[in-house]
Amino acid sequence: MDRLVTGRESTPASAPGSTEASTDFGVDGGVRIDGIVKTFPAGKGRNLVLDDVSLTIGRGEFVSLIGPSGCGKSTILRIVAGLIPADSGRVVIDGEAVEAATREKAIGLVPQSPALLPWRTVLKNVELAIQVNSKASKERDLRNSEEILRSFGLGNALHRHPAQLSGGMQQRVAIARAFVFDPGVLLMDEPFSALDELTRDQQRLGLLRFWQSNRKAVLFVTHSVREAVVLSDRIVVMSTHPGRVKTVIDVGLARPRGEEGYESAGFRKVESEVRAVLREVTEPTYA
Amino acid sequence: MPEIRDELALETQIVAEAGRGIERDRESAITERHGARTSRLRVGTWLPPLIAFAIAAGIWQWYAHGHPYAIPTFEAIWKSLKSQPGLYWSNFLTTLKEIVIGAGGGIIIAFLLAILMAELPVFERALMPLAVMLMVTPVIAIAPALVIAFGFGLFPKYLLTGIIVFFPMLVNSLAGLRAVDPGTRDVFTTLHASRWETFRYLRLPGSLPFVFAGLRIALPLSVVGATVAEFAAAGQQSGLGALIEVSASQVDLPVIWASIAILCALGIAFVVILGVIHKRVLWWDHGTEQRT
Repeated sequence: MDRLVTGRESTPASAPGSTEASTDFGVDGGVRIDGIVKTFPAGKGRNLVLDDVSLTIGRGEFVSLIGPSGCGKSTILRIVAGLIPADSGRVVIDGEAVEAATREKAIGLVPQSPALLPWRTVLKNVELAIQVNSKASKERDLRNSEEILRSFGLGNALHRHPAQLSGGMQQRVAIARAFVFDPGVLLMDEPFSALDELTRDQQRLGLLRFWQSNRKAVLFVTHSVREAVVLSDRIVVMSTHPGRVKTVIDVGLARPRGEEGYESAGFRKVESEVRAVLREVTEPTYA
Repeated sequence: MPEIRDELALETQIVAEAGRGIERDRESAITERHGARTSRLRVGTWLPPLIAFAIAAGIWQWYAHGHPYAIPTFEAIWKSLKSQPGLYWSNFLTTLKEIVIGAGGGIIIAFLLAILMAELPVFERALMPLAVMLMVTPVIAIAPALVIAFGFGLFPKYLLTGIIVFFPMLVNSLAGLRAVDPGTRDVFTTLHASRWETFRYLRLPGSLPFVFAGLRIALPLSVVGATVAEFAAAGQQSGLGALIEVSASQVDLPVIWASIAILCALGIAFVVILGVIHKRVLWWDHGTEQRT
């Protein structure tokens, strides 16, 4: 087995994890994924999509999931979000099972498409996340929707409708909607993949800036190495058929990071490290 | 390789700055496009249909002058309308009443049933075959049977009008209630939205474009339903359909065609009113706008 598991992944449930990402990285914080197995029906049999995947995301830690298409990274995210069940294994969010975590609105989801309601204004779209299942967010430190939209540079668009916004702006509304009810965990499924490269770079830095002052545990699915390196504390590289955790790479670049981060030697080093592993994972295709 | 690094840094900066510019441009372009949508009274829009109408009317007039016992001229129709407005008005009101009550009831029942079917699929399995049976049976065939069963009053007319609008409304509403964007549904699921919240905030407003598409089919059909029902119970002598039936037996061409013209105008009015309401209520729906 060429799966390389860092010390953190094999930490027993009772022991505290690394203290690197955040000072209060307790066992109850963030997300713990334990031995997830998932199969999908394929013809007469079943196709093994995820084979014994384990990883943890500390409280306030930014973890990216990267790998060739078909490695099941989106499937992991959907299991953590409670959208599909795993065949076996366990997901613990803030010390609770997924079902309980969604009931308490502990998860903010940013899907691949902005998924906004076209008949609601930008502001009302963000407020929806507070409105729905409102008793769960009652005790929460709710963010002011207007304020949060302003900090995403959408102050002028509050009363506009999604169709009047560019793709980048729509995606920022979707991110604001995930932050607004102050969940402990954010799940993002390639949120910038539909945007052009120029807009993407901007969106990444915007997210980075916001997250750095509003730390949450983030599971970020992406297929962009550059994106993973500039955003993450750790990068989980996955291999395909079946989907397994290949390597976990510590990014270790100082925060806060910004535009200038792309220039640093450290950035290049991590980037090539990730690329090297990805090459290894995708090699069989060309062999 | 410091040079390469610097080049990349510069590129990064250029990319970031260009990105900001593009975002701004796109925002203003989108606003402009919305502005352009409002000014659509262009010559190219209304002139071609006007010419087509003029040609059709010209052929009609030419033929009517040569064959007065086949179709009446416009003057003859107009004279008939002007000479007995009370006759047309009272018969029009009867037909309109049948449509408002019959189609209104059919539309509401179909929509409520669609909600039931969307929320509890067992109802779809149980009732959809019956609904399909109702749809494939020609209303013209049911009409006389309904008159025998329920008499010459207005009830069989309500029923027939209701039946004819029922299926298109049911199918469209059901499709609309189910056509939920998967990403949005996922967001609602992770928020642990209740069934009622998902219905109220997501399914119900999302279904409206489909409901309007259904209405666009159902309302013109309701005119057909009411007219056919009146044919079958012509003895009652009320409603534009009955007026056509009676006048046909007397070969009173101007009355027949004046009644047809009123029915046609009613259908057009429905379509126009629907279009106006659609623009007001569903301004956010760009999908159906393209479909129509």
